[in-house]
Amino acid sequence: MAILMGPLLSACAPKMTTKLVEFPLMYEERPASILILPPINESTAADAKEYYSTTIQEPLAYSGYYTFPYPITSEIFKMEGIYDTELLVNLPLSKFKEYFGTDAVLFTTIKKWDLSYLVLASTLTVSIECKLKSTTSNQTLWKYTGTVVVDLSGGNTGGGLVGVIVKVVVAAVQSAVADYVPYARQANYRALSSMPFGKYHPLHNKDQKVQFVDQTLEKNKTK
Amino acid sequence: MRKLCWGVFFIVLCCLISAGCAPKRIYYFGNYSKTLYSYEKNQNEESLLKHKQELETIITESETKNLPVPPGIYAELGYINLKSNNSKEAIRLLQVESQLYPESKHLMDRLIQSAESKDPPISQ
Repeated sequence: MAILMGPLLSACAPKMTTKLVEFPLMYEERPASILILPPINESTAADAKEYYSTTIQEPLAYSGYYTFPYPITSEIFKMEGIYDTELLVNLPLSKFKEYFGTDAVLFTTIKKWDLSYLVLASTLTVSIECKLKSTTSNQTLWKYTGTVVVDLSGGNTGGGLVGVIVKVVVAAVQSAVADYVPYARQANYRALSSMPFGKYHPLHNKDQKVQFVDQTLEKNKTK
Repeated sequence: MRKLCWGVFFIVLCCLISAGCAPKRIYYFGNYSKTLYSYEKNQNEESLLKHKQELETIITESETKNLPVPPGIYAELGYINLKSNNSKEAIRLLQVESQLYPESKHLMDRLIQSAESKDPPISQ
């Protein structure tokens, strides 16, 4: 039986890659601080921007990075007359270093932010494109392109720290809008899972060999 | 007997591996995302006050749990004080952030400067 199962399992197993192979510049430059830019929202959900931007700081901090407080930085952009995220995208990266003293800048485009309530399975489907760019070398240090599906029924959430947080009753989610925040945060946690840990994480510079599913195949599918 | 030993060894090994991979709780964030979302969605005095109280709770809870205060919490509280013209407290909090997280020093110095001159928070 085991002999039979072996080849079957390996044929189904997704192609794996390591953090070092995919993001070598993260280990070369070792950015310590990240400035989160307001995301570009291409989805049909009007509040996707707020959901994303208020739940991204926590997972980034847990990954070991210093994150500039979003409420402060977004207000600074407004005071500087930059209301449109598209304008920020075209600024030279050195400007962010000059003004905030940040090592890296996180650019995000929200492609899809769909909430579907069904009788048996309610889900949040988030498709995002993230890029972490260096303010010193202008290079892309880390990126994520993909779709995360979060189960809103509170059952099968993958367990662990996030799983515990996420156990909120669906009925409550539908009535109170802020209760939807944990799911947005979970989507962000998953999207960030391939990012090498930063200096405040105990595994900083020790996670080069950590494996994750190679996204290249998925990317080809969507093209 | 030998099989049993290997079995026990395997279980112990699994436990060690899974314990090693479990996420370490390095911060306490409380309801930060929720109160921030409510504030960003509806910017008014009530939502600001709730978020401010949550920031204060995060600081005291982190202290009781013997955890470092997460990045940005002192800075945000300082910034709220700065906007309500409470410059002295603002400067104190911004300095704490700067000492706790040296990465923030550049921005904190900028904010402290505007608190000292009592200008609007950011002016060139």
